[in-house]
Amino acid sequence: MPTRSQGSSLGVLNSRVDNIVRTWIANLHVDRGIGRMVLLLVIAFGVFAALNPRVFLNPLNLQNIMVSAPEVGLLAIAMTLAMLTGGIDLSLVSIANLTAITISTMYAGLAASDPALAESLGGMIVVVGVAVGVGAGLINAVLISTVGIAPILATLATMQIFNGLAIVWTGGRTLYGAPEILGGVGQSTVAGIPVLFLIFVVVAIAIGVLIGRTPFGRKTQLQGSNPAAARYSGIRSASVLYGTYVTTGLLGGLAGVLFVTRNPTASADYGTSYVLLVIVIAVLGGTNPMGGFATVTGVVLATLVLQVVQSGFNAIRLSSYEYSIAQGVILIGVMVFDQVRFRRRGRYVPSTQTRNIASLSGVGNDTKKRFDEVKST
Amino acid sequence: MTSSTRARSLGSRLAGANNEGMLAIIILVLVVVMSIVSPSFFTVHTLFSIVRSALVPTVLAIAVLLVIISGGIDVSFAAIAIFAAYTTVHLAQAGQFDPGIIGVLVFACLVGAALGAVNGAVIARFRLPTLIVTLATQGIFRGILLVYVGSRYIAELPASMASLSTANLIALEGSRSYLHLLVVPVAVLVLLTAWVLRRTMFGRGIYAIGGDTEAARRAGFPVVRFQIMLYVLVGAIAAVGGLIHVILNRNANPQDIMGTELDVIAAVVLGGASVFGGRGSVLGTVLGVVLVQLINNSLLLMGVPTAWQRAAVGLLLVVGVGIQAISARRASRRTFVIDTAEV
Repeated sequence: MPTRSQGSSLGVLNSRVDNIVRTWIANLHVDRGIGRMVLLLVIAFGVFAALNPRVFLNPLNLQNIMVSAPEVGLLAIAMTLAMLTGGIDLSLVSIANLTAITISTMYAGLAASDPALAESLGGMIVVVGVAVGVGAGLINAVLISTVGIAPILATLATMQIFNGLAIVWTGGRTLYGAPEILGGVGQSTVAGIPVLFLIFVVVAIAIGVLIGRTPFGRKTQLQGSNPAAARYSGIRSASVLYGTYVTTGLLGGLAGVLFVTRNPTASADYGTSYVLLVIVIAVLGGTNPMGGFATVTGVVLATLVLQVVQSGFNAIRLSSYEYSIAQGVILIGVMVFDQVRFRRRGRYVPSTQTRNIASLSGVGNDTKKRFDEVKST
Repeated sequence: MTSSTRARSLGSRLAGANNEGMLAIIILVLVVVMSIVSPSFFTVHTLFSIVRSALVPTVLAIAVLLVIISGGIDVSFAAIAIFAAYTTVHLAQAGQFDPGIIGVLVFACLVGAALGAVNGAVIARFRLPTLIVTLATQGIFRGILLVYVGSRYIAELPASMASLSTANLIALEGSRSYLHLLVVPVAVLVLLTAWVLRRTMFGRGIYAIGGDTEAARRAGFPVVRFQIMLYVLVGAIAAVGGLIHVILNRNANPQDIMGTELDVIAAVVLGGASVFGGRGSVLGTVLGVVLVQLINNSLLLMGVPTAWQRAAVGLLLVVGVGIQAISARRASRRTFVIDTAEV
């Protein structure tokens, strides 16, 4: 047994063990978040498959889950990105609707005079629609970063403005019509998997890489977990916030494209219930609403869980209001669960091995403190 | 130098602690402009109808103000308001009895307080972000109301409420202008809240918690207890707002009020309350509500389609909050400069 006189070698050993345990715990944390979502997904799937197998396990229903998941999933990934910087984007659904309305109006306007031209310009129309989304995101970025309005208020206001513009533009009516190519993409499947779902996976991977593997991603994480530290380490919060909110605008615009792809209509009040749903998904997927931590994989899995729950609720004939109760309960349940676990881990040194070494070397308090720091990041 | 500081202090005194003076001036300008543009604007009739339309938003705004001062943000108050009011009317109708206006009020407040307690318990006990908790409870309350209480529109109010809906404090038959009796309880509520915020330990505690929770805890405020009390109180106030809405509309619709959360929050923030907590006043909030109602009314009078109202409120919010944000940034830069100069 080492004694205190061998403090230096013990210190090396201690820090080495500490490091190993720390990385192990860090991995465990991520894995647990994702593992938990996989577990939830299996449970939800199993419960509804058992309750009403005839409707729920119908291939049409399963394909329907995969077709409806992407539009909510893209919004949830955008919300995750905003939450990563410690912000929030309440205007996402309004941005998506504005994009859908832009596409629908442009197409309908062109098709009225020359249907063939409208079809051939389909791609252009979609690009313009997405550009509207990016522009809306840019407005959010200006308000949040340059003017300095708190994200929740800025996006609350822009949500009102975008939604108000959409109401004025459509006169409150539902618009019909979208380029044929979108309908084609919406219908087609590759090896039984809807193309829409594949698009969702590709975008998710892209954002996952953006968050986890690029300097921009590192900066957003640091900005979210500790803005002051980020400033002192030379990160320009302005560029991070611009990048974030322009990207959320882009994703909102893409979600809007998916709206019209799935169903060639557009209206100002489509998907109003998505605002809550998207926040639920982001938090459920392991995003810390205070910023600094998020995994795209978790969010994708959370999207699937909630889509399964929704279609399961349909299969056993529960109303959308019961679904909104379930959303709220799941959201609070997960946050409370996380908080309780977080606190319990703060109270004890988690590994017996570390605890022994820590108590022997008399650096227990120090180690414990470091564990707390690791956990809080 | 001295003249500029004097000008600034005069300006800041005029602006008030939370921009109340600024708001009052904007309201005054708006009234003058509207009176010139539209001669039918400057009448007792307009005044009374704006007051009437401001009653429910004022009560709800007072509830939101309390939460915002404490550093949180609540989006479930609208769900609580209609939950409490609709449940009360529904039970009275189902049981075929009229508990009298006091009974109605007490019952609705108890329901609202119970729902508020749910918010408070979750938020204070687990220290979770208030926006997300109240978003969740909003969905839960609304779902429970529509699934388990009722989704039917009730046109027949209990007699005591029905008689109150036609009661006027001032009735000018000549110009067909009526000032509703309910302006009295709303005024009492406003004054009472102002008194609680200024003069009681609870009120100061809410400011302290909003300013810096940790500092408030160390200063000896029972933070968790105050937060739970706060959300219970906010639930009860929201219930009063819901009740007034039902009485003024003479029917109970479980789909009502939901969706007006943002207008109310916008009014409170315009009234100078800071979403970071610790700042805000009852006077500013009332002025903020009046401004929003005045703008809605003016847009209507000028023939602007109602579709624009939503965008207008959003724009107003951007401008109002933007000015605050920019001036806060200037102020912090100014202190920074003074700091370095002294060092």
